[in-house]
Amino acid sequence: MPRKVTTSIATAHEADAERRHEHRFQVSESIARLVMRTTANNLPLSRDDRPYQWSTTTYCDTLNWSIFRAAQKGSAMQLRIREYHRTRPQGVMNPGAAWIEFKDDEEDTSLKERFGVSMDVARSFLRGEIALPDPDHGLAERAGRLLKDGARPVVVTQYNRLAYNSLDTAIRITADHNLMYFALPWEARDDNDQPSPLGTLLAMEPDVIVEMKWYGELPHWAIDLHAYLKENTHEERPSKFIVAMRWLLGETDGAKKKKKK
Amino acid sequence: MKAVEETIRSDAPATRVVVVEDDQASADVLQRRLQANGMVVSVAHDGRRGIELVEELLPDLVLLDVMLPDTDGYDVCLRIKSNSTTAPIPVIFLSARGEVVDKVRGLSCGAADYITKPFQAAELLARIDAVLGQARNPRVPRLARSAERAAGERRVARVAIVDGALRAHVEQLLATRFDLAEDSDMPDVVVLEGNASVPADAPEDVAVVRVTAGRGSDDRAELVPVDAQLPRIVDLTVRERGLDHDLQAAAEALIVLAAAIASHDRPTTGHTERVAARAVQIGRALGLDESTRMTIRLGALLRDVGHARLPGSLLAKSGELGPDERAMLERRPVLGEERLDGTGYPDGLRAEQIPLEVRIVTVADRFEALLADRPDRPAVSESEAVRILQGAVARGELDAAVVAALATQVRAYGGN
Repeated sequence: MPRKVTTSIATAHEADAERRHEHRFQVSESIARLVMRTTANNLPLSRDDRPYQWSTTTYCDTLNWSIFRAAQKGSAMQLRIREYHRTRPQGVMNPGAAWIEFKDDEEDTSLKERFGVSMDVARSFLRGEIALPDPDHGLAERAGRLLKDGARPVVVTQYNRLAYNSLDTAIRITADHNLMYFALPWEARDDNDQPSPLGTLLAMEPDVIVEMKWYGELPHWAIDLHAYLKENTHEERPSKFIVAMRWLLGETDGAKKKKKK
Repeated sequence: MKAVEETIRSDAPATRVVVVEDDQASADVLQRRLQANGMVVSVAHDGRRGIELVEELLPDLVLLDVMLPDTDGYDVCLRIKSNSTTAPIPVIFLSARGEVVDKVRGLSCGAADYITKPFQAAELLARIDAVLGQARNPRVPRLARSAERAAGERRVARVAIVDGALRAHVEQLLATRFDLAEDSDMPDVVVLEGNASVPADAPEDVAVVRVTAGRGSDDRAELVPVDAQLPRIVDLTVRERGLDHDLQAAAEALIVLAAAIASHDRPTTGHTERVAARAVQIGRALGLDESTRMTIRLGALLRDVGHARLPGSLLAKSGELGPDERAMLERRPVLGEERLDGTGYPDGLRAEQIPLEVRIVTVADRFEALLADRPDRPAVSESEAVRILQGAVARGELDAAVVAALATQVRAYGGN
């Protein structure tokens, strides 16, 4: 189960206590509506996520794309900045609240830790001026090493998220609409009060991305839902980070793997 | 007088509306209703055509159905709002979907309003008026500046103050240095009271001075007191604006000079101009403002001025340069060729230490070079050139976002 503590630098801190399962499905709008209706019958709306609020995630990578290359091989730690807005912002790293997130992905599981900070702190962190405490899994230390290796913001995703999770957060199901991928012409600078403008729109997902994340065993209704999703998915999805990077580097049309029969 | 007013009214541009609606009957009704209210209406029956019409016509307003045959209205709205050219155009959703989540989703995509079908025509028109009233139209055509001023000719000030007594006082003070404009003149400066709006018919780049009837200046609002110093302050403001224009003109002259040097000394005549044009295009795709694009253009045009001092044999050489030759090339001034991995010159800067403008010009230069025949290799197509540059991105040499902007442009214009 996730643990929440407050640190001296961050006003909030959340970390998974153990690895959790994570499956992604790309489905049509109508399938997504059915899935989320079933989900709403079994789980409450997430208290931390406003329905359809805009999530903006800024992903970092090094000059030789070491995070992306590792992610393609199935194991990598993402370093990213997350922000939430009611309407879609035209830039990233907007003044206000932000989350510095570290997410260690394996084939089917992930381990996430994040720090709620002001955007000033997030920008300072990216410049290597401050270090975050490393209480749980050594992710913050790994992130520090990535920054020393030249990691900087390179690509952005924006989407509307509808999120449901159990009160103990043992299971979480989300539907991401209007998923967009942007390049980010990053500029190092010391002023913190101006957002960084988005670059070119690389691609938009025509479908909805449904994600199921859970610890341990799925409840019966969720097993059925998982099977239904697997049956109706267009593609088995790599992570948003991998899809975004493929678009950025011109390597593919986004998702290579076809659905397994 | 009345006849003149009517002429002006009839010349006023009509509101241009693009309606994206798949149902023919609904579209016809809507079109007739809007045309009856003096609007120019264009209709698209699917999302793809809708986006094409918006990009082509740059209308004042888009009325957008949510359910479309090829995509949904949210997608269309997001594409309009993601294009820096079309983003300022207000969008109103018209939809039979009336659930709160649908309205929230529509508005969160950047729409100015969401109207549920069936709607009353009067309400639709009222909402259109409200949205158009709120939208500041940035595409107002720039008015031409008045013809070059003869030496000694006095500058023209327009006092746009509502309060009659204050206006008369300001005009009396300014009359010592300025000719006072009638409403229809092209002034050099507009004088306003407090935070009043600049008149809509004033030139876009006119100098503006804001005054206060109270004693003493208000530094926060930059209000100037109406006293004996006012004519001098207004004069300085006009001169400052003139200096900005002169600096721009000087930059243009420098560009002409650089082009002349390049065409005289370089075997690849026209390359510099093509690089500058390409770099500006990329800058536009990245949403950079006009001033930054001007800097990019200037930098691209001047970066090879140093070639004028290099031997012609070096410029014409094909294949690898020797160490001495490379050192000579890297001593040339201005922008040089910085690389993200720090192996460029003249300063060996890394990644985002390199200004974005330099990263853009570097990509434009490499791209245009690939499109031209060289002694050691033939020209490649635009699509192939993009693929080669993406390879350089993968090796960490070029900026990924800049190459992505270039790739998007090449795709959009059907690169050969």
